[in-house]
Parts: sequence; C-alpha cells; structure tokens
Amino acid sequence: MSRGSLSLERLNPLTTLTGAAAVAVITTAAAQWAFSLTVLCGLLFLTLQQVRAAAALRAAAAILLPFWAALLLLHGLFFPEGRTVLMALGPAAVTREGLLFALDAGLRTGVFVLAFLLFSFTVRVPELLTALSARGFPPRLVFVIVSALTLLPAAAQRIARIRAAQEARGLVIGRSLASRLLAARLQAVPLVLSLVHESGERAQALDARGFSGRQRHSSLGAVPDSAPQWAARRVLLVLCLAAVAVRVALALFGGRA
Amino acid sequence: MASPSPQQPSLFLPEAPKRRRLLEILGAASIIATYVVLVLTQPADIAAGPGSLAALAALGGFLLGAVLLVVAVLPTLPTSTVVLIPIAMVLNIVLGQFVGSTLVPFYLDAIGTVLVAVLAGPAAGAATGALSTIVWSLFNPTVLPFAAGAALIGWLAGLAARAGVFRRFYLVPFAGFFAGVLGGVVSAPIAAFVFGGTSGLATGAIVSAFRAMGDSLLAAITKQALISDPADKAIVFTVAALLVYALPRRTAFQFPFVRRHRVLAGRVPAGGETAVKA
Repeated sequence: MSRGSLSLERLNPLTTLTGAAAVAVITTAAAQWAFSLTVLCGLLFLTLQQVRAAAALRAAAAILLPFWAALLLLHGLFFPEGRTVLMALGPAAVTREGLLFALDAGLRTGVFVLAFLLFSFTVRVPELLTALSARGFPPRLVFVIVSALTLLPAAAQRIARIRAAQEARGLVIGRSLASRLLAARLQAVPLVLSLVHESGERAQALDARGFSGRQRHSSLGAVPDSAPQWAARRVLLVLCLAAVAVRVALALFGGRA
Repeated sequence: MASPSPQQPSLFLPEAPKRRRLLEILGAASIIATYVVLVLTQPADIAAGPGSLAALAALGGFLLGAVLLVVAVLPTLPTSTVVLIPIAMVLNIVLGQFVGSTLVPFYLDAIGTVLVAVLAGPAAGAATGALSTIVWSLFNPTVLPFAAGAALIGWLAGLAARAGVFRRFYLVPFAGFFAGVLGGVVSAPIAAFVFGGTSGLATGAIVSAFRAMGDSLLAAITKQALISDPADKAIVFTVAALLVYALPRRTAFQFPFVRRHRVLAGRVPAGGETAVKA
C-alpha cells in the first residue's frame, strides 16, 4: 500500500505520534519563520510520499487557508505595535512588523496542523490503541476513543436515514429560521434518543463481560516495533526537552520570550 | 435499558482513591497555573514576533491538565456513563456540523458534552469535553490546545445541573452564558499565543476591530471571546436541556447523578427506582 521507503504507515504509531509532537514543539521553541518554512516544506514533501497524500493536503488546506486569511486580515491591517508603516489605509495600516508576525504565526500553525494531520492520515487507529493499551493506558480510555471513531460514520448515516424518514412523513425544510430549527429538532431528538438507548444496552453487555474489572486487559494483537524506532522516540523526546530548555534559558538570560 | 451502576463519583467525593485525587488536583492546578502564568508573563512587546515561551506554556500546561483530568476521572465513572461519552463526542461533531449545514448562524460543538454533564455529573462532563477535543483533533489539529476549555465547559455544566439549574428551564441560558464567559477567558490565551490571535475569519474580524482601537492582542481576543462564547454556550446549554427534557423520564432517571441530585423536576419514575435498587 505504501508509495515508497518514506511511507509512515509501516512505522509504529507511537513513533509517528512522537514525531508529530516533536516537530510541533521544536518549531514553536525555535520561533523563526525561516525554520518553520523549512520544516513545512519538509512535511509537504513527506506528505506527498504517503498513499493518502491528496486527502491529507485537502484537509490541511481546508483548515489553513481560512486561518491564514484571518491572520493576514488581523495583523496585516491592524497591528498597533508596528513601527515601520508600509501603507496607511485610514484607520488601518500595513506594517512590516504585522506582516512578519502573521508570517511567523501562520507558518508555525501550518507546521502544527500538517504534522498532526500527517499522523492522523497515516496511523492505523486499532494499532495505535493496541500500542497505548500495551503501555498501560486505561482500557476505558481506549474503549471511548475506539467507540467514538466507530460511531462517527454510523451516526452520520443514521442522521441521513432519520432525515429521509422525516421527509417521507412530510418534513419540508423551509428558508425561515423557525423552519430550520423545527427540522433540526425533528432530526436531533430521534438521533439522541436512539444513541442513548443503545448506550444502555451496550453498558449491560460490557458489564456482563467484565468491563469494569480491575485486572489488566490482554490484547490479541501486537504492534510491530523495533530498536531503531524505540531509540528514535527517545532521541525526539530529548530534542524536545533540549529545545524547550534553550528557549527558557534565552527567556531568562537573553530576554527573548 | 436500566443497568445496574455504582454510585456516580465526582471530583469532590471522599471515596476517590488518593492517587486519582492527586491527579485531579494536579490537572486542575496545571490549568489554573498555566492561565495565571500566561496572563502575568504575556509578552509586553509582540512586534518581534509571537511569543514562543507563551505558546509552549499554553500548549503544554493546558493539554497536560486536560490529560491528567481524563486519566484521573475516567476509571471512576460507572459503565453506563463511560458508554455515553463516545456518543456525546459524536453528537458534538455531528450536531455541530448539521447545524452548520442548515445555515443557522452558530457552530454548536459542545451539545454532547453538556448533555453528558447533565446526565452524569461534572467529572463525566469534564472528561467528555477533553476527550471530545482530543478525538476531534485527529480531523482538525487546531482544536487540540482548547481541550482544557472544553473540559471546563463540561465541568461547569455538571455543577449547574447539580445545583438544580436544569430543574428551571429559564435559568439554563444564564448558566450557559456564565460558563461561556469563563470558557472564553480560559481559551483566549491559546488563541493569542498559540495561533497568533485568531482561529477563523469571523472571530478574526472581531479581534481586528478591537486591535484597531489599540487593544493589546490578549485584551482584544479576550473581548472577542466574551462576545462570542457566552452567546454560543447559552444556546448550547439550552439545546442540551431541550434534548434532556425530550428523553423518556425512565431513560433520564436511570443515571444515578440525575436521581441523587434531583437534576430534573418531577418525581423519579417507577422504572428509575427499579434501576436504583438494582
């Protein structure tokens, strides 16, 4: 399924998660737009090597384009701290400092979003949860996350079915706010009722299978890991701590927060 | 439908094990300390760029606090509440997106969190808010740092339910308004220091207006949050209350929190009493 040797899907999910977090922390600690731009380019290249590159890039664009536009509007035109005015537009003023602030914040957020989306679009959720369980994460936490990810598409389908059923009974969604609110109520109430009803049945089934037991839960599968990946995770964590330590030292002794 | 459930523990009940109580205290302390540090040490001059240390503190402190609260609270919840949490997370996302698709001018993404808080208490509400944000971040990573704010909304909704606010419908929007004020104040430093002051075009336009009047970045974002969040949360609380009222009484009263604190008006139905004794 992978495109090449840079495919992240073959890695242990904890390695990609650690990598995403490390990239976000180190880029934030560095606080240099040129560094952020370099990392963003690297992440873009890495994303293009993945099977679901198009989907990941679409998701990133849907989040980042409005965000960047808002940053440009906010800091590009209204930055009272700016000293170098490039263009005065009545109450607004384009300043060099404002544009650099928008560039810095925009690139940093771009790295944050793309790093975590790269993780989301390459991780196999069952493997991630198995790996978390194996490392002692509470089984209830694992159950909640798995259930939510499983229920999400099912609930979306169910609300479509409820809407079709209500339309068959004469529901017409008009243009007025009152009509839309009525339509929302006619669809939301059956959805909530059915989901809460099912949760009661699920609770009984889980209790009958010892879900509330305090013993350590075993797992049928094991997620492949390797010594180099184990070492890489440690190195990434050390790099994160070092980056934060340098930033704190600069803030304390160099005055750069 | 009714399931035998142990008593609903909460953040303040004495039977909580010491280790979990410690985690709860550490989680809450992390969130409060992060907010205080951010407000006290906010960069005086942002002309040199967005503050790196403030962003790291906001990211780390709020996220750590939310995770500690989840780890402390989740094992104490009865199974009937645990199975409700993923449903609330799905409702947050599906109902929020659905409302958006009907062109109602709000994006209501905490309805499930408040629903769980009303049915299962402040601890369950806080865990639902934080977990919902963490799962949602798989699709939109920008929501991740707001996990503590979402937990706060769930916790406050549970406290309001415990105080009997949901017995009188006319009080519900006021409780939502108040929760929105606190939630907005907590979330403002994240928008300011992690995301450079905005999380969207609409909020960015309001922040721009305050910046044009000469406000500092944090002051402008806090004012924007105090405009947007209370109204949003007043609607969220009202919608969640209407959904709870629409539930069959036997279903609503199967939750120990609802029975013990008389969250809803009226007597416990016969089926609910059966659930208590079971």
